[in-house]
Amino acid sequence: MVGIVLVSHSLELARGLAELTSQVAGSEVRVEPAGGAPGGTLGTSSDSVREAIARADCGQGVVVLADLGSAVLTVRHVLEGRPNGHVRLVDAPFVEGAVAAAVMSAAGQSLADVASAAEGARGASKF
Amino acid sequence: MPVSSDVTVTLPDGIALHARPAGLFVKTALKFQSRLTVTSDGKSADAKSILAVLALGALGGTDLRLTAEGDDASAALDALAACVRNLSE
Repeated sequence: MVGIVLVSHSLELARGLAELTSQVAGSEVRVEPAGGAPGGTLGTSSDSVREAIARADCGQGVVVLADLGSAVLTVRHVLEGRPNGHVRLVDAPFVEGAVAAAVMSAAGQSLADVASAAEGARGASKF
Repeated sequence: MPVSSDVTVTLPDGIALHARPAGLFVKTALKFQSRLTVTSDGKSADAKSILAVLALGALGGTDLRLTAEGDDASAALDALAACVRNLSE
């Protein structure tokens, strides 16, 4: 299955979203939170993103979602040394993208399909 | 020869098509090639899209009309209808 990494400035936000996502998609998908700066303040850290990617990776690829601005920069920095596309940062709404990606992954879909479900969440209506 | 068919099933009382039940429903739909649509209260959603299914806001006890188009339409409807009938929290 494709792993999912949720990068937020807030570890609580990333953890809460991972919990919600696993409830919808099922606990078989690896959804790994990465959040907060070293010292427990709001922010992101390359080390925690790197570790979350390692935990999420079961060999079929990893999709990474970031909450805002500098979280994207942190992920890009981590991915600089990995040009093969096995780990993909997607431009997607954080909550809806995570849920859409995790359900696709739980259904055994490919990295391309999981990434595209996350990005497709941008146009989804809530009601 | 692609076929098109439909079936109507009722969500069990007290089980809304949200969170875990919606996830199970969509994961079942994703096992099939056919185009699958779920309609509730006049609103239709792609049964393979979790966000579309969640947006239906279908509550327990409501009727879901399931429509399938494709080679495995019949098997898909059987599986989806069984999934709905067996949903629990």
